[in-house]
Amino acid sequence: MNTLSYDIAVIGGGPAGLAAAVKARELGMDRILLVERDYELGGILQQCIHDGFGLLRFKKQLSGCQYAQKFIDLVAEGGIDVLCDTMVLELTDDRRIYAVSAQEGLLEIRAQAVILAMGCRERTRSQVSIMGSRPAGVLTAGSVQRYINMEGYLPGKKAVILGSGDIGLIMARRMTLEGIEVEGVYEVMSSLGGLRRNKVQCLDDYGISLHLSTTVTKIHGNKRVEAVTVALVGSDGKPVRETERVIPCDLLVLSVGLIPENELSRKAGVQLHPVTRGPVVDDTMMTSIPGVFAAGNVVAVFDLVDYVSRSGEIAAQGAVDFIRRQSARGNMVDTVAGSNVGFVLPQRVNADCGGKEINLYLRVRKPMKDVRAEIVCNGKILKSTRYGVANPPEMIALRFVPDGPLDGPLTVDVR
Amino acid sequence: MTANKQEILAAFSEGLKKFDLDSSAVSARIEDDGILTLEGSTKTWQTAVDIGHMAAKLPGVHNVVSDLTAPGAVPLKRKDSAPYRAMGVVDKADVVIIGGGVTGCAIARQLTQYRVNILLLEKEEDLCEGSSKANNGMVHSGYDSKPASLKARLNVRGNAQYTKWSQQLGFKFNRTGSFVCGFGEEDRAAIEGLYENGVTNGVPGIEIISGNRAREMEPGLSDSVQFALWTPSAGYAEPYEVTLALAENAVDNGARFRLGCEVVDILTKDGRVQGVVTTQGVIPCDCVINAAGLYADEIAEMAGDRFYSIHPRRGALVIFDKENKGKIRTFSGVAPNNYTKGGGPEETPEGTLLWGPSALEVPDKEDRDVDREDMEFILEKGMRLTKGIDPRSVITYFSGNRAATYSEDFVIQNSRKIKGFIHVAGIQSPGFASAPAIAELVESLYLGQNPDTPINTAFNPIRKPEPAFRDCTQEERDRLIAENPAYGRVVCRCETVTEAEILRAVHGKIPARTMDAVKRRTRAGMGRCQSGFCGSRVLELLAREWKIDPSEVTLKGKGSEILVRPSRNTGRNAE
Repeated sequence: MNTLSYDIAVIGGGPAGLAAAVKARELGMDRILLVERDYELGGILQQCIHDGFGLLRFKKQLSGCQYAQKFIDLVAEGGIDVLCDTMVLELTDDRRIYAVSAQEGLLEIRAQAVILAMGCRERTRSQVSIMGSRPAGVLTAGSVQRYINMEGYLPGKKAVILGSGDIGLIMARRMTLEGIEVEGVYEVMSSLGGLRRNKVQCLDDYGISLHLSTTVTKIHGNKRVEAVTVALVGSDGKPVRETERVIPCDLLVLSVGLIPENELSRKAGVQLHPVTRGPVVDDTMMTSIPGVFAAGNVVAVFDLVDYVSRSGEIAAQGAVDFIRRQSARGNMVDTVAGSNVGFVLPQRVNADCGGKEINLYLRVRKPMKDVRAEIVCNGKILKSTRYGVANPPEMIALRFVPDGPLDGPLTVDVR
Repeated sequence: MTANKQEILAAFSEGLKKFDLDSSAVSARIEDDGILTLEGSTKTWQTAVDIGHMAAKLPGVHNVVSDLTAPGAVPLKRKDSAPYRAMGVVDKADVVIIGGGVTGCAIARQLTQYRVNILLLEKEEDLCEGSSKANNGMVHSGYDSKPASLKARLNVRGNAQYTKWSQQLGFKFNRTGSFVCGFGEEDRAAIEGLYENGVTNGVPGIEIISGNRAREMEPGLSDSVQFALWTPSAGYAEPYEVTLALAENAVDNGARFRLGCEVVDILTKDGRVQGVVTTQGVIPCDCVINAAGLYADEIAEMAGDRFYSIHPRRGALVIFDKENKGKIRTFSGVAPNNYTKGGGPEETPEGTLLWGPSALEVPDKEDRDVDREDMEFILEKGMRLTKGIDPRSVITYFSGNRAATYSEDFVIQNSRKIKGFIHVAGIQSPGFASAPAIAELVESLYLGQNPDTPINTAFNPIRKPEPAFRDCTQEERDRLIAENPAYGRVVCRCETVTEAEILRAVHGKIPARTMDAVKRRTRAGMGRCQSGFCGSRVLELLAREWKIDPSEVTLKGKGSEILVRPSRNTGRNAE
């Protein structure tokens, strides 16, 4: 077994891991390793050939591939060590990483700081309780995207899409352009799951119908999908039998949510948050294990890649500070999801952060109009921002610089 | 026969009254050998099944052939065999075994102890595609079979043989024992009844214990369990692993397998088997062993010797995320109330929490749906029996059909009409547990007809399984990768399956041609993402290794292609 030693090891070469590695290099770290299980860097951005990436960061409409390439170039220029086609099998609580690759065999990687950037996976049909048979032709939106955009194959002729998440909406357009008939998009919730701009650009522009408060209840066909049953859901969230109708199709595309991939984190003993399903992190993106940081969708599912990259950079800064100072953290205060807020990231911030920028990310619980997001500490409003609309799928990012130490938890309210 | 035919038919008419039927709706006739045949139609399939069971219980009735129809019922299907006969002879064998489930493969392996040319035919494109696949893998101890039934005898004997089987064949087997739980005095009689049954059937170590003692053994058991029937001999194996192990060892010892080969007719002459007609052509043989599971009655009909009907009883199974490993080790069930009790929570040898199966009579053998009712039944039962398990960690569910006869017993015997035809039918629960003993019984039936069969002196009962990367130590992994770098490429991240293992499956003794075949051999795609990530990689490997276009790769055989056609921009013969 080869043993490698690094200052910082980043697990995952998607947008979060790439940004973290690049930032760590900028901050002067010499020995950085980026470990990626796929053949190339880029993560899921490789299959995102649609545009709309990087609006915040580059003020341009880039494709996912172009966005990734900008960082991949910086990784190469920075001389960062990269191990592709390398799968991390285990992370220990003392920051040892065990990985395998065909070229290197079994590797033990020791690092002074580790950044977890494994991303997320898609929820499957069983997690949304679709009954019926198990034929070919039931795929997640990401799989469909991969088959069409990377493999060059179409997985069906007539599709029903369940879930109005962004990938589902984008694939509705993509499949239409490729000649697959998209019968409609069905969404169990009473409001859109993805970004509004994606509904306009991917459904409305192509005349694809969106059916809210409707779900797929059953799959028909033993070998290949022959049809699906859809039904309206009542106020209790359960399908109403009388409204069931059968739609002939040969492909069911599932865009029903993403789950942070934290199997490595869990086994290492990293504390996970029940709502985000990712590690509990502080304002430097450090997890409950000292020296282990997390960034991107492994922490919580972000809706913009710009935020993912930003979280990678914060984690890199945190990791560098951790290595350089090895100092104990100061007093921490919790962040609290206040009224109408689903969760706030990070879950803890340094109380002695006066003069230092803090980035908070949050999701509202329900769609609202003309609201204020307020950060409150000990009864004092530290920041207040107006929003014309606030929707659960659209993450709110708040940046602020406290002028002195925090003397209590930070509560974020949206009202 | 003890009762004469008139008495039996009278008793049947009497029994029919309960069903609130027009007497013209159902007719019955009985043969000298006690085979009762039913014709007519009923309003619901469940009524048709209930009538079948009622008839089978009448004194003097040996078995029931039911041609009763009801909405949704699918009559026996016979393909026109003429085009296949026209294909001519494509192969020949001494013994043709029909059906590549655990029973057929066990028989194939058993008979390779003799110098006979054995050919196993399976209509699907892989083994273990029918009832065996959707089995919960329980090796029952034998308390629930009716004393003196064939099931009772073969179950207890088969169970005892599993340790040796697993050692010889190298499959995982955990003899953890099982509980049938009582929640109050109302369950006492049923559990004592099972205890008596078990004692009569010779189940070793059977006892009724307190709820507290049961929880000492199985801390995950619900606090509301008050007492339990404990049978230490019950165990668990992975049915697809066992089936494949048997098949591979059979191949090692000279048996041959044809997959995607459906039998459409049995050739007989002067009351003797002459051969079979298959969708691949005609195969002459001297002996046909009918291990066709759900289709055993249809194969028997082809031989002109149908004296039982298979009525499919659907069972759904629910699989949980491996993060639940260790929460439950031992199977637990509840006191039964009908023909089948259905199953309860258990941990498979792989460390997967599995709940079910449910039990529902369905009119269509191909009905493998999972309905909300199945899920509710399974989850409710599981939650009642266990504690500390989050039902939201379910990663998949599926169903299959038990091949039940109306007599609810195995039918393992020589045909009384056709020499050389052996029935191995009605193999439902506890068929998996009984498989070793079923194979022995079939061996003795075969030798009874062919007493001079020479011994295969080269027979080797040992099959050494290839290492599973996920089970290896770091040192073993290092060594494997050094020998074969493809072990260093993890394709299925959830189950840690490497490219080397997938290539091994594709080029194995029973080559994997479908995505599901790869899954059964390697676990690729069985994990929490359910092939979301590795699906496209496995597909790519199958296309590469079989030198076919990716659009030809199937999930489970023809008609289940994953991809429809190349996209228009690839330049590859788009539509």
